[in-house]
Amino acid sequence: MHHHKYRLIIPFVLPSALIYGVFVLWPYAQALYFSLTRWRGFSRNRPFVGLDNFERMLDDRLFWNALEHNALMLVVLPSATVALSLLFSALIAQGGRGLRGAEIYRIVSFFPQVMSAVVIGVLWSFVFHPNIGVLNGFLRVIGLGSLQRTWLGDPQWVLWAIALVAVWSSVGFFMILFIAGMQSIPTDLYDAATVDGASRWRAFFGITLPLLRDHLQVAFVFMGLSALDLFALVQVMAENGGPSRAADVIARYMYDLAFNKSQFGYATAIGVVLLILSLVLSVLVVQLTQRERIEF
Amino acid sequence: MDGERLSQLLDEARAHRLPRRDLLRRGAALGLSAPALAMLAAVTKPVLSRAQDSSNPFGVDPGQSLDVLMWDVGWGDEYALNALEIYKRLYPGVEIEYQGVQRVAEIAQPRFVAGDPPDVIEATLLDRAALVAEGLLADLSDLLAAPAYDTPDKTFGETLLSGTQTDAIFDGKPYAVNFSYGLQGIWYDDRVMQEHGWEYPSTWEDMLALCEEIKTAGLSPWTYQGRYPSYMTTVLWELIWKNGGIEAIAKIDNLEPDAWRQDAVRASVDALYQLADRDYFMPGTEGLTHTEAQAEWLQGKAVFIPCGTWLENEMKDVIPEGFQMTFKPVPPLAGGAVPFEGVSTFSGQPFVVPAEAKNVAGGKEFIRLLCSKENAGFFCGYAHSLTTIVDSCVGLDLGSAFNSALAAFQAAGDNRFAGPLYPSWYKPLADEETTQMGALLTKQITPDEYIDNVQQMADDIAADDSIPKFTREI
Repeated sequence: MHHHKYRLIIPFVLPSALIYGVFVLWPYAQALYFSLTRWRGFSRNRPFVGLDNFERMLDDRLFWNALEHNALMLVVLPSATVALSLLFSALIAQGGRGLRGAEIYRIVSFFPQVMSAVVIGVLWSFVFHPNIGVLNGFLRVIGLGSLQRTWLGDPQWVLWAIALVAVWSSVGFFMILFIAGMQSIPTDLYDAATVDGASRWRAFFGITLPLLRDHLQVAFVFMGLSALDLFALVQVMAENGGPSRAADVIARYMYDLAFNKSQFGYATAIGVVLLILSLVLSVLVVQLTQRERIEF
Repeated sequence: MDGERLSQLLDEARAHRLPRRDLLRRGAALGLSAPALAMLAAVTKPVLSRAQDSSNPFGVDPGQSLDVLMWDVGWGDEYALNALEIYKRLYPGVEIEYQGVQRVAEIAQPRFVAGDPPDVIEATLLDRAALVAEGLLADLSDLLAAPAYDTPDKTFGETLLSGTQTDAIFDGKPYAVNFSYGLQGIWYDDRVMQEHGWEYPSTWEDMLALCEEIKTAGLSPWTYQGRYPSYMTTVLWELIWKNGGIEAIAKIDNLEPDAWRQDAVRASVDALYQLADRDYFMPGTEGLTHTEAQAEWLQGKAVFIPCGTWLENEMKDVIPEGFQMTFKPVPPLAGGAVPFEGVSTFSGQPFVVPAEAKNVAGGKEFIRLLCSKENAGFFCGYAHSLTTIVDSCVGLDLGSAFNSALAAFQAAGDNRFAGPLYPSWYKPLADEETTQMGALLTKQITPDEYIDNVQQMADDIAADDSIPKFTREI
């Protein structure tokens, strides 16, 4: 019987396992090797240099500059995105009751999810345009003209402008995720809470939040990983890392080294570090939020 | 009968060193039967197919396909396609593989690694220094020594404008041929200047005085390509060159200690910084892309903008009616080494032939035809820009932008400056300079900090023995 089972499973699993091996695992293995070479990325000539590239990273201020920005985004993006999408999803779906027009909000807020990051970056570059941009125009109209900034040209603001876009573009997705989670929470829990005199907020913190733990875990891992990436938005909105490299991130710096500076070996070493950081992050988040599962 | 004609043809071929394809064409014209033609083709193949004469100096085999990878932005790719037409005319029936793309590096790089590169590449986006260091580019010395396609009694190299190929030479050998050529300097709308009775200044001091006047009149004196501050770097280079001569530039290129701290550099950085310090830039400039800034300038939001002579072609869809686009060199600081008329030039669109290409001869031949008078004139006619080929635009009236640039080119005489070489040798230094330039122009840093930061990067590169070093004489 057992043998029969494997005879059935193997033909189904093998193709995808092969594809995964060839296109995911093998490149990882290759990258590990390239990171130990001084490869320019043009020929098969890959002089082995041991851990030189990793040593160089320690003294590379451009690397640390980029890493700092990633670290900052790692703190800001997940918390801001999760907080906002929780708020919106609670307003729309908690306890099966939502605001008027909830259906429209739910659909509209998902729009950014269907656009590519490049399109989003280009559109927001227009919003942030210093002279004809919607943002500065809006500030002028409501009499706050003194708050106008050259958002993408100012080292103090460029990273925050990009962070805003990153949050804006992901809130909709997590909102849908949380709404799905909330809808699976039995409404009689809320009815009971209401009978006991709990406010909407009290119900949110007492019932919704604890029962959404799995969804929150997923959201934090996803947003954490995207905070470690941010390549597309930075590349579009702050090419070359923005003014004074104030919006540079590791992924863009790595790209620049590999494809513009012909330092493929070093860039790969940075990629390996990025991989390790991502793994550590995911494991940490899962460990920290690991509790006993609640069945309902 | 066939036999008689055949032997006659072969004699003729030997006497005139007739290329094989001409021979076959003549054979067909003479009415040779198909079997006789086939025989002709067979007997002449080993002798004549690799004949190297003035019409086929590299011995191109017409049976071999030609693989061209073209960068299709800015000037478009019409001139490459036109050159291919000439190629097909000379080698009828040749198979062409052509790709005109924006992301050349992403396509070229894996093909280099696989040992299967195209036969010729427009290599603006490739790190040529790295390619040369890896031995992946063909030495083009024989191309430069070959006879020109349609300029009699000149070698190909002699048809190229002097000083246009300096950044194609690594360690004394040519590895690329630059095609486009032009001037970089400052642009304005002549109507605005006329209207206010302003005159283009002949010194930087006068420029600052005029800016004050413009500001008082309620206009923004300057703008630049905002998020790409390197356009202002070309202004800085011209100031340095006119102040300290080419020697000052050579020190920078050769990574000499404290090269960025020499007086000529310091005075020029200070001079440029005045534009920022006195608020002469259009508000919001630093947040714009290059085309956005240029569009604002075209709408009269600012009087001066730095740019190369590609400006007109780049903006041709949005130039307002009656706009008198006019080019002038950067006004020098008083008492410098080079007069006002001196002009910065650029040459670009470098074409390279990979050493491991399957059809190296075809690649070289393509470049020879690309830089023919016929093709350069074609380019000039639609792009309104000069090329590196001598006299390529003679006799064309191409509007105020082109004419003012041509006048500046002629006024400059031999005072032409092809720019420093460090950007093609040491990209990280050029990048760092651009970053610091952006910070300087927005007053995030002072001129002293700018100099310290750029010098720091130059020192880092000088000390890094993993980066191959180059030097220039002057």
